Amino acid sequence: MPETAHPASSLKLAIAPDASLPARQRGAWRRRSIPFLLLLPTLLLMGYTFILPLLTFFQYSFFTYRRGRLVEEFSLETYRRFLFDGYYRTIILDTLWMSALVTIVAVIIGYPLAYALWRLERPWMKRWLSLIIFSPIIVSVVVRSYGWTVLLADQGPLNWMLLKLGLISAPLTLVFNLTGVVISLSHVFLPFIVFPIYASMTRLDPALREAAMDLGAGWWFTFRRVTLPLTLPGLVAATQIAFTLALGAFVTPAMLGGGRVQVLPLQVYHATTDINWPVAAVGGLTLLLMAFVSVALFNRLLKYSEA
Amino acid sequence: MTLSSLPPLRYMLLWLFTALGVVFIIAPLAVVIVNSFSSVAYNVFPPEGFSTRWYENLAGQAAFYGAAWRSLVLAGLATAGALVIGTMAAYALVRYPLPMPSLLKAFLLAPIVIPKIVLGVALFMFFVRIKMFGSYSSLLLTHMLIVLPFVISLVSAALYNFDWTLQEAAMDLGARPLQTFIRVVLPEISVSMVVAAVFAFVTSFDQVETTLFLVRTDSNTLPIEMFLYLQKWQDPTIAALSSVLILFAVSIVAGLALVLRNRQLPLDMRPQKDDTP
Repeated sequence: MPETAHPASSLKLAIAPDASLPARQRGAWRRRSIPFLLLLPTLLLMGYTFILPLLTFFQYSFFTYRRGRLVEEFSLETYRRFLFDGYYRTIILDTLWMSALVTIVAVIIGYPLAYALWRLERPWMKRWLSLIIFSPIIVSVVVRSYGWTVLLADQGPLNWMLLKLGLISAPLTLVFNLTGVVISLSHVFLPFIVFPIYASMTRLDPALREAAMDLGAGWWFTFRRVTLPLTLPGLVAATQIAFTLALGAFVTPAMLGGGRVQVLPLQVYHATTDINWPVAAVGGLTLLLMAFVSVALFNRLLKYSEA
Repeated sequence: MTLSSLPPLRYMLLWLFTALGVVFIIAPLAVVIVNSFSSVAYNVFPPEGFSTRWYENLAGQAAFYGAAWRSLVLAGLATAGALVIGTMAAYALVRYPLPMPSLLKAFLLAPIVIPKIVLGVALFMFFVRIKMFGSYSSLLLTHMLIVLPFVISLVSAALYNFDWTLQEAAMDLGARPLQTFIRVVLPEISVSMVVAAVFAFVTSFDQVETTLFLVRTDSNTLPIEMFLYLQKWQDPTIAALSSVLILFAVSIVAGLALVLRNRQLPLDMRPQKDDTP
């Protein structure tokens, strides 16, 4: 750059009015580019480890797997097989059924716990209860699922206690079947249920309940007509989180299902290890679709519940 | 309103249910600790005797040491990386008008919504295809992606609540932008960043689904090593290891409680979300 190297010419450039305008524009452009520069590392990471892998996944769903070999030609064969094969339909229905059961059980346990947490008067009790409810998030799902296999075993503590109390005469089979998976997953998702419900309760104006009580409403009437409707958004949000997480649950069904609980995430895992990638891709995309549809449906419900 | 004004039966039922709920939450963890001191290799209750043989057995398992170390390093690096780029992204989201902000935000949080097993298999296929399978960078970047949404949502919630006149004051007094950020903004959002870091670290440390296909068999992370061990054996060595991990989790909670003493946990993100234009 011979011109700018000359001091006189660069000075002239700097003070010339027509030259200062592009400079200011350059400054504005730089200011406008700051947010994009700040976002750039995140966007690059997401492009590389999120968008491109999902596109690859999508591409594999159009390939076929024949006689132990991957055929890299465009075909809808895998989709056709997946949609019309009763085996896969059973897996899809079982996945939905398991997720629904988990959500119901977790809400039945979680809603009263959130209510208790809200109604506790002493701060130290509140702190301890919330700590107990939320801490299990930090413990690995592998450890928690293992704990349930021990707790629910035929010779485990729960069966021992039920036998001692004389409630049952023979040990119940609670583990390596759907029962064990549902109990364990409800435990895993409980904090995600309690938190949104509790948050919706803290936003509730206590005067409303007191007004209802003062006007002579019984506690059940007050709960049904005041507390429950006003905490419905929290309840729907909690249901949404639990159901969506349950759809994608893998570790717990693998550890507590004992091969009897065939859900979509396990099917995707087995297809991948069997190097049948096209079936894994179609299964995974089905799961993705189910997750998106349920999120959309719950969002619609959330709108109604807030109205 | 005090509790004594509640009719007693309803109130007793609620506390009974709460007590049962607490038992439900703690039981699977407590039983692991009891089982780790069992003297026999099979699960039986009440335990036939007590011993520390499973801890001795655990101490002799070199595979778990290596896996634990790999998990700690991986979680540490992923957390550090995600904190830096996630805070940058959160700052851009809060402080600058961006095109389609709600769509952008939904996109940045999308990795949470995707079933992890789908993401894991997709990443596996992608890395095999571009011949990056088994490399450490693939694993690290994947973990950064998984913890990034936690950082972005928690830090941007803190930044929404930040009093930006403080930043303007610092700038007017002649502080440079980065200096202002480090000296004025960062101390105010530090609690949220600590919480985000803990969440991110724990999420990465416990990651199974996405890691399962990305690690080579000789370099498993701890949860993968445990998951695969449990597919083959059910002896209380895992109970001993789990007890160590539960202790680790309890110390994290205690540490966090110490950091957050007298502070409101920045967990409720809904009001801030409603505030966004």
